[in-house]
Amino acid sequence: MKAFNRRKLVTASAMLAVTALTITTVPAQAFSPKSEVGVSANEIKLGITIPMTGAASPGYNKVPAAMKAYFDYVNANGGVNGRKITLVVKDDQYVPTQAVAKTNELILKDRVFALVSPLGTANNKAVAASVNPAKRGVPVLFVNTGFSGFADVKKYPTTYSLLPSYVMEAKIMAEYIKDNFAGKTIGLVYQDDDFGSDALAGFKTAGVKFATTVGYASGSQSATTAAGWVTKLKAANCDVVILFGVSSATAAGLGTAAALKYAPQWILGSVGGDATTIKAAGVPAGVLYNAVGASFLPSTTDTADEYVSLFSGIYAKAVPGSAFDNNVLVGMNSAFVTVQALQAAGKNPTRKSLIAAINSKGSTFASAGLLPLNYSASSHVGYNGYWFGKYSPTGDLKPDGGKYTLYTTDSGSGAVVKSTYKRPAMPAKGLPN
Amino acid sequence: MHKLSNKARIAIFIVLGFVIFLISNRVDELRVYQGATVAVYVVGIASIILLTGYSGQVSLGQGALLGVGGYAAALARLHWGVSVPVSFAIAILAAAAAGALLGVAAARLSGPYLAGTTLALAVGLPSIANQFTFLGGEQGLFYDVGFPPASLGEDFTQYKWFFWIAALATLLAIFWLQNVMRSRYGRTWKAIRGSDIAAELAGINIARVKILAFTLSAGVAGLAGALLAMTIGTVSPSAFPLALSFSLLTGAVLSGVTTLGGVMIGAVTLVAIPEIVHSVVDRIGASEAVATNLPSLIVSALLIVTVIFVPNGPVEQMRTKSKKVKSL
Repeated sequence: MKAFNRRKLVTASAMLAVTALTITTVPAQAFSPKSEVGVSANEIKLGITIPMTGAASPGYNKVPAAMKAYFDYVNANGGVNGRKITLVVKDDQYVPTQAVAKTNELILKDRVFALVSPLGTANNKAVAASVNPAKRGVPVLFVNTGFSGFADVKKYPTTYSLLPSYVMEAKIMAEYIKDNFAGKTIGLVYQDDDFGSDALAGFKTAGVKFATTVGYASGSQSATTAAGWVTKLKAANCDVVILFGVSSATAAGLGTAAALKYAPQWILGSVGGDATTIKAAGVPAGVLYNAVGASFLPSTTDTADEYVSLFSGIYAKAVPGSAFDNNVLVGMNSAFVTVQALQAAGKNPTRKSLIAAINSKGSTFASAGLLPLNYSASSHVGYNGYWFGKYSPTGDLKPDGGKYTLYTTDSGSGAVVKSTYKRPAMPAKGLPN
Repeated sequence: MHKLSNKARIAIFIVLGFVIFLISNRVDELRVYQGATVAVYVVGIASIILLTGYSGQVSLGQGALLGVGGYAAALARLHWGVSVPVSFAIAILAAAAAGALLGVAAARLSGPYLAGTTLALAVGLPSIANQFTFLGGEQGLFYDVGFPPASLGEDFTQYKWFFWIAALATLLAIFWLQNVMRSRYGRTWKAIRGSDIAAELAGINIARVKILAFTLSAGVAGLAGALLAMTIGTVSPSAFPLALSFSLLTGAVLSGVTTLGGVMIGAVTLVAIPEIVHSVVDRIGASEAVATNLPSLIVSALLIVTVIFVPNGPVEQMRTKSKKVKSL
């Protein structure tokens, strides 16, 4: 028995020694102390975490390629002050634990300059709590979530939101309902987390009365669970149903309702309102027809729009055969704004100069958005409004009356008003200087 | 039965602790973060080894018990503002209480029935968080252990702090587990694993001993849960998925489910494989989807290979070999 335990000890120590050696022999990534992390003489390295696989991935997994398409276009035209932009993509499967692990890899191993468009409310919250980009001084540009909390400069000093908040969307949606569906019985399906509670807060501020509200747990959306939603909505006799969830939830809701011959007036939240994704999930365009949707960007089929025309051309060349849809447009637009932020950060950008540049010049950045960006030292709010429209028989979202009528509001108790903002012309060839 | 004296063991653990401390000062922050993750897995896997390897009961739901621990720690710290060690203690007690309940049921079950029951727990328990608002729903609750003390210096990172806490907790837990397994209880568990009829004839109260094993194992799992919550700063249902339960079980099999000695093997494998796969995939330029999903496939393949070729785990295999060599 004596030999046994000694052997055990020897094995354990040998194991530990081997592990220790393996770990210590891995060189710490060398980087020049003179320049900023992630910035070299000819490259700026950015990182993104986003669901590329898993239940929540459909649609959003097109975003990285869309962003890369625009970055490559800029790279081919001289880059940003001579530096090429590279984007490191990490799949977090919409799981917070994964988001934390992958963000750590991006910051500590890949040593990216900044994070761009990381997706998901719960994921971004876990990352903020554990990785703490603010404490590390790492900029988190244009988080891909409308959770209003991320615009809180004190709590998330290095984080910038881009999408209008869910509170704003809910308030403007309430206005649209008042104008178009007064007196109807209204139901709501929402994601039971901060994404949904933000929307509920907005509807509450606007005084919308729901006949029933159906919360679903993130990731639980499927034809089976959607059948449960439909039962509840039917029981409450809803004429108008708001689907305020991710794309896969919208698709599950629409598809299942159609199969169960339930056809209320649908209103789709912008997050889950991308037509290509919904159709790809097997929902016929006819089911989408006449549903109400919202966007802060031009309609993706509006080829008269200079941004849509340029971006769709670039995307078609970069990712042949992939449909140009709202997720692609959002991704390319984020990349477009990112490039301007990098340029504004100076010849030798640092994380500090990047943040200072967005705070001081961010509100003047050009973008495809039909509403202004609201960045300043005290505000990290991106766009602040929406236009509403209906889906065409082919399933494309078109503005009511063929004209964008824009509404704007804030994430607090401010009123919903018509926006008078005129988008400035696009920089020549879509290359900002 | 000649074993290392307690003094010698204490000395070994102190040396181990010192080595870990030295390593933590040499490696970069990502390794330190991964080290903290390894510590979480070590404790989680140890809880399975205690249960399965020693008392012969199978749990596919260890992830749920980690969840109980994580939520208990987070709630205690959020609402009562208790210190970190106290929140760990609460995590251990809460998970142990859940384990005791489960153990009462488990004592009546065995084999596939027990596996099924614990599996149902792993599937069902995390979604409870969606039913009660005080559990924070899908996006969960914050669990903040605070910044490292200023006396450790400016350069002392948050993850090093996490790692120190996790490593210390792990060493203590493993030391304590070794003690338990060397005690009367450890011997009775082994007796039951060998043959419960023989054990019963020898005067062992099987049900009571099994419940005790479940309770202690759950307590250790609770500690792992609190450590996991610490490393990601939050607890949420998606942090304790079914995949976590399976990973821990896989880790236990890779480690050798009947010996505590190999516990590092499973834990390091679980953390290292995704890392290795990622660097290979980056080099050959395959898609990110491959990089995320290939590790699970490799770990599963390893599990099968282990079961076929070294069913008792590599450490046990080496021991048996050395025994054979000696007997020649």
